[in-house]
Amino acid sequence: MDALRLLTPEITITIFAFAIISLDIAWNDENKSRRILPWLAFAGGLATLLMIFYIWPHVDQYNYTAATDAGREVPMLAVDRMSLFFKMIAVLTVILVGLSAGEYVEKHTPFRGEFYGLMLLAGLSIMLLVSSTNLIMIYLALEFLSITSYILTGFLRRDARSIEAALKYFLYGALASGVMLYGFSLLYGATGSVDLATIAGSLETTQAGLVVAAVILMLAGFGFKIALVPFHQWSPDAYEGAPTPITAFLSVGPKAAGLAVLIRVMVVALPAFDVNWTPILSLVAIFTMSVGNLVALWQTNMKRMLAYSSIAQAGYMLVGLAAWSAAPPSAVAYLGGVDAIMLFLLAYMFTNLGVFAIAIILENQMGTSEIADYAGLIRRSPYLSVALLIFFLSLVGIPPTSGFIGKLFVFGAAVNQGLYVLALFGVFNSVISVAYYFGVLRNVFFEKGSDESPIRVGVAMNTVVTITVVMTLLIALYGQPFIQLAADSAQILAANF
Amino acid sequence: MPFEIPFVQIVWWAMTACAIGGAIGVVSSNNLFHSALFLVLSLFGVAGYYVLLSAGFLAVVQLMVYIGAIVILVLFAIMFSRRMMKPTEDEMNRQWLVSVIVAAALFSWLIVVVNSVSWPVTSAAPTADTVLQLGLAFLGSYLIPFLVVGVLLSAALIGAIFLAREKVEAEEI
Amino acid sequence: MLPIPLSWWLTVSAALFSIGVFGALSRRNAIGILMGIELVLNAVNVNLVAFWRYVIPANVEGQIFALIVISVAAAEAAVGLAIVIAVYRRRHSAAVEELDILKH
Repeated sequence: MDALRLLTPEITITIFAFAIISLDIAWNDENKSRRILPWLAFAGGLATLLMIFYIWPHVDQYNYTAATDAGREVPMLAVDRMSLFFKMIAVLTVILVGLSAGEYVEKHTPFRGEFYGLMLLAGLSIMLLVSSTNLIMIYLALEFLSITSYILTGFLRRDARSIEAALKYFLYGALASGVMLYGFSLLYGATGSVDLATIAGSLETTQAGLVVAAVILMLAGFGFKIALVPFHQWSPDAYEGAPTPITAFLSVGPKAAGLAVLIRVMVVALPAFDVNWTPILSLVAIFTMSVGNLVALWQTNMKRMLAYSSIAQAGYMLVGLAAWSAAPPSAVAYLGGVDAIMLFLLAYMFTNLGVFAIAIILENQMGTSEIADYAGLIRRSPYLSVALLIFFLSLVGIPPTSGFIGKLFVFGAAVNQGLYVLALFGVFNSVISVAYYFGVLRNVFFEKGSDESPIRVGVAMNTVVTITVVMTLLIALYGQPFIQLAADSAQILAANF
Repeated sequence: MPFEIPFVQIVWWAMTACAIGGAIGVVSSNNLFHSALFLVLSLFGVAGYYVLLSAGFLAVVQLMVYIGAIVILVLFAIMFSRRMMKPTEDEMNRQWLVSVIVAAALFSWLIVVVNSVSWPVTSAAPTADTVLQLGLAFLGSYLIPFLVVGVLLSAALIGAIFLAREKVEAEEI
Repeated sequence: MLPIPLSWWLTVSAALFSIGVFGALSRRNAIGILMGIELVLNAVNVNLVAFWRYVIPANVEGQIFALIVISVAAAEAAVGLAIVIAVYRRRHSAAVEELDILKH
């Protein structure tokens, strides 16, 4: 396929984003046509998803033996199955968040065009980031994602919480990307190249100290996006202050993108390099899981609790990468652990977006997201209560939910490589997480709330909750296609060599 | 010419005085307005570096975009609020001592790292027309980043206008 | 050989970087922090251009990288200052320590 066709998903989403923003300017406030803007964003997401499916079968025939920039049809962007998989996650996130945002946005801000336009552009930046194979492109796409995220976090600009969250997010993010960039510049100096595959070929073992320094500096940038401990301090504030649909987006989109780029840099640029990354990655994974889960225990606000819970979930995902790095150096193409991360991420996306959809519904109705206000939900909406139960089971990792399959694969990969302590930490952390998830469920099922009025759920919201519930169960009960999908997507990356 | 090399070095030291002196001024001045002016000095020193490194185009971009646009924007934002114009007793936060230690440790670590590596230095000179090379690269193999920068700048523009705009009637809260 | 050794550039860049990080960590005001971050980005650019000149002058990648860093810095500064102004409108202060609505 030629370069233009390989880029159709990116082109489609860009056209829709700018169409929405332009139409928003063209139609004045009284114009009734503005109501279609959210649906245009939805259509844009669906069209992009279709384009990804359209390209999917063709990337097999695409010549992946040329790993450096010179041999690629699309310079700087690898359109392989791994990037398509992450693009699919990004677009699904945009679609589901866009659907669940409708009522919230209408209630809180008159700027609908900017909201949906910028969200599609944030989706575009993730799509670029996950296929970047070049330090310049990685930096550019990462900053693109950051800048759109800052704007979206501060979107309720008259609300002090939202705009302050944006400021904190911005200050942490700008510093983190500056530090990451310094690491990039050192790698460029050591190898004379910004292309990941060329960097892999030109690193010499005498430069070990430099590479470790560069990776530590780079981890600041990627870790910031994924919210790994100790680069996580921004996330609870940003999650609590941001408009709730954007919190949902931040908890999946940037995490997936950061993980994808971390995987690509580790696997493509530093694979056979003579440094053992396992201790660093394991340590970060253990800290991320433990800090996320332990602090989540004390939270009384749903959004803040979910922020810490998603920090912990990112820690579980990192266990997979640690497992990959522990494979013997001879097995460079071995990608066990990476496919586990992808499966985990797929499960996590549906589950977490489902939880947030419920949080948005309740916030629309009650105006707060305090856990105490979830009391007696079972009487107000049995459907949502049961859905919440399923999502929380999945986040803990109890069968028959997708989270169980994800954790099984991630911890299984760790055990396969003999990282028993790491796997044990993971299981132990899952047990801790039961406490706070079930704290919410106790409120929902056994407490008596002050308000007994039934919860009204709109069509769009109902669709989101249904899709996420079905997928959360489906990935567990009929898992083979999804496991295959994750394995396929990871394998193509190996074919890069 | 025996005096040529010392002259370049003298220029380098002068530029270093600007860049580092300015940088120290930026972080130590108690008046934000003065900080921004020190930032101009520091950025000017860095532009001088680019000239010494035979990257003339970048030096011009540095002057026009960095000093001409970014610092002016910073100055606008400072002047926007009269309270920020006034020097305060203490512009440092409580953790400044920790910050000094972190920065010093960072500096020593980086010096050790960059001096422990044998950089693959060549004595080759850049081609005569680097600007032509830049132009060709931006319309050739770097076309996609070039386009993405365009999209990014429009997104940032839309976002910045939206965030900094006056309150709108229809807005709740 | 070039009249100035590569290590001089790297030392200056490391110094700029550390000063910038210090500024970003120690300032109370958001604009002060932003200026520290601009210093960090300049340190990176000095590195990039110096490596371009000393390591692979034949290929302009280093300069391209530096140009992109400058453009992104412009976009980032615009959005950042817009956020600062929006915060200032709400609270008449841009001191980060006073941002206390979001509890820890």
